[in-house]
Amino acid sequence: MRLSVAAAISHGRVYRRLGLSPRSRLDLLRNLVTALVRHERIETPWARADEMRGYAERLIDYAKRGDKDERAMRMADFWLTEKDLIHKLFKVLAPRFQPHPGSYTRLLQIPNRDGLDRAKMAVIELKGNALPPLVRPRRDSDKTLLNQLLKGYRQDAQRAAAT
Amino acid sequence: VLILVRSPLPRLRALLQRCWGRLERGLWPGVVGGRSPPWGPALAVQGPALLPQAINDAGESSAEAPSLLESVLWMAAPKQRRTIEVNRCRRRHPSKLIEVKRNIDVCPECGNLKQKHVLCGYCYAKVKEETRLIRMEIHKKEGGPFNAPTVETVVLYEGEKPTEKDAGKRIIERARKRPSWFVQN
Repeated sequence: MRLSVAAAISHGRVYRRLGLSPRSRLDLLRNLVTALVRHERIETPWARADEMRGYAERLIDYAKRGDKDERAMRMADFWLTEKDLIHKLFKVLAPRFQPHPGSYTRLLQIPNRDGLDRAKMAVIELKGNALPPLVRPRRDSDKTLLNQLLKGYRQDAQRAAAT
Repeated sequence: VLILVRSPLPRLRALLQRCWGRLERGLWPGVVGGRSPPWGPALAVQGPALLPQAINDAGESSAEAPSLLESVLWMAAPKQRRTIEVNRCRRRHPSKLIEVKRNIDVCPECGNLKQKHVLCGYCYAKVKEETRLIRMEIHKKEGGPFNAPTVETVVLYEGEKPTEKDAGKRIIERARKRPSWFVQN
């Protein structure tokens, strides 16, 4: 029985192992969720941001139920360690994301950390925040081949419609 | 040494003496009748010295593991020098070379190099600095810790007035001209 090889296989496991223990992993993610709700944009290692994203979005889904909901209030109480953020969550974030069906956060990778570990870093932010945008949406240039062909087609159609 | 004396136990004594004689002859083959063995140059064979105890021990412990002196003979070592051709084949094998990155592009905003799936370092540093200054203003406005507002926030630069979309929001003022990359909604 090759027990050693079986110990290294982790097929189908979705949750990463962070921190010192499962409890420590939850505390770590809880701190990150609190920071995200407070500052609306944080820079952290990519693995932690990816892990935290799911929890943050589910918290906002709970908040959308309204603050009269007992489960929603208990969730917010557990996940936000700073209690003034519970007010912000229910009064600012829930109305902001009411029209959206899902995906309230944006996760983008940034260049590796400058320290010795060169860790893969990411910036995670709540959509619709008041801070300067990280990525400017770019339209394709008019000079690309496809756009030139489409422009020619549109002009031909106009000329055909004019005559 | 044979003793020709008739004693009550002649056979046993004779047997013992014969055995002892054979033993001595086996241990020191050169010794005959008290003379020392002939000295002369001999081949220096690498190996454990044949100690007098070795024969006694041989019968006792045949299952003993080989001592360190014997096992030193049996360690793996290269037989031949690896030629430079063989060395080159190993050192330059594709699995050992560093992979060439083909996902490097030019950022359309600033012109610095960036990886395709990563944000541009220069542009991100610009945005990070501006967010830091905005957060300093927020901190000044809030006054202390744990004063998160229950309304949205909007950032206005010099000479800008809040529009009707920014009706109930908290206004953060920055004392500079609006940067070109921060478009007002």
